[in-house]
Amino acid sequence: MKKMLNNAGVILSAVVALGFFTGGVCAQPATTGHANDFSSVEYFKPPHQMLMASRLSGVEAQPQGQLLLIKQLKLETFDTNGVPGLIVKAPNCVYDVVHGVANSPGHVRLETADGGSHVEGDGFLWRQTDHFLTISNNVQTVIEPGPKKKTGL
Amino acid sequence: MLVGDWLHAQTNAVAMSTSHAPTIITSERADFDLAERHAVYRSNVRVDDPQMKLTCEEMTADLPQSGGQINHLVALTNVVMDSVDEKGQTKHATSDKAIYDYNVVNGVTNETVTLTGNAKVKDGPNWMTGEPITFNLVNHAIHTMHAENESMIIYQETTSALVNTNAPATKTNLPPGTADLPLPKTNFPPGTIQNIDKNTTQSGTTTQ
Repeated sequence: MKKMLNNAGVILSAVVALGFFTGGVCAQPATTGHANDFSSVEYFKPPHQMLMASRLSGVEAQPQGQLLLIKQLKLETFDTNGVPGLIVKAPNCVYDVVHGVANSPGHVRLETADGGSHVEGDGFLWRQTDHFLTISNNVQTVIEPGPKKKTGL
Repeated sequence: MLVGDWLHAQTNAVAMSTSHAPTIITSERADFDLAERHAVYRSNVRVDDPQMKLTCEEMTADLPQSGGQINHLVALTNVVMDSVDEKGQTKHATSDKAIYDYNVVNGVTNETVTLTGNAKVKDGPNWMTGEPITFNLVNHAIHTMHAENESMIIYQETTSALVNTNAPATKTNLPPGTADLPLPKTNFPPGTIQNIDKNTTQSGTTTQ
């Protein structure tokens, strides 16, 4: 199923300790400071414009110009039924607020929402606009065997 | 067969996997298009599955929804595949390209691996070449079809043939390559002798 991504821009929202975020497209950090419970949400195109396509969040975020240094990054994708799809986690990363790009030379883990499979590696680049993740080193995918389905044969 | 929950043959007809070991894919780099659910593994790709090992330089996969199964994989460049069936028989395959397909149509499971580009399969003592070579993973059959004459070429390992027999070579006066010629078509009923000298009996003596 092809997801229709919202190209209108990245809508940012956050519970901000120092109030450097505003709602709307490509919010710019106003001051240097510190934020907790950061999140950035992208919605589907109409007719599913009310549903989240992805959510990028972090336990802690520190702005540096248009960049955010995020700790405990968590990126979630959803389908048009609201069902969680994939989850990306990283201990820390740099997030470009304007371009919606996150990257880190550190470890990254991608897992299915049901926990059945996961991918790990070192160094990544995430483009939120087209949901594209590159893991640049030591990629390992682990897929646990699932229950056998009956086919009637 | 290939990759656990995503790739296992999910059929009762042939239990491809009795192991609960996970499938592990490693590579130096990978790209994931999470919107299209498409993955590309690059450089030194290796698949370790309870039933088979596969190495190649690049592999693409259509990722399923959660809890689903991968239904299409393409392995490219220097593809090497080793598998063991439930009887313990090993198969070793090499090719430039391998395509894995899985689907269930009207309750019937179809699961194949198709090898193209210098495809070779070593099945026990035999080597097989063809274009393409297709593994049916449900019934373990191997098919091949040459683009020109629709045939496969099977070689038997010379070493194993020599080691496993003490019998002398069979004497024949037939020219090389004629042993497997098809029998000529005939309208004679079974057992009818044709093209034989009427003056010659079956014992080879000539009647007067």
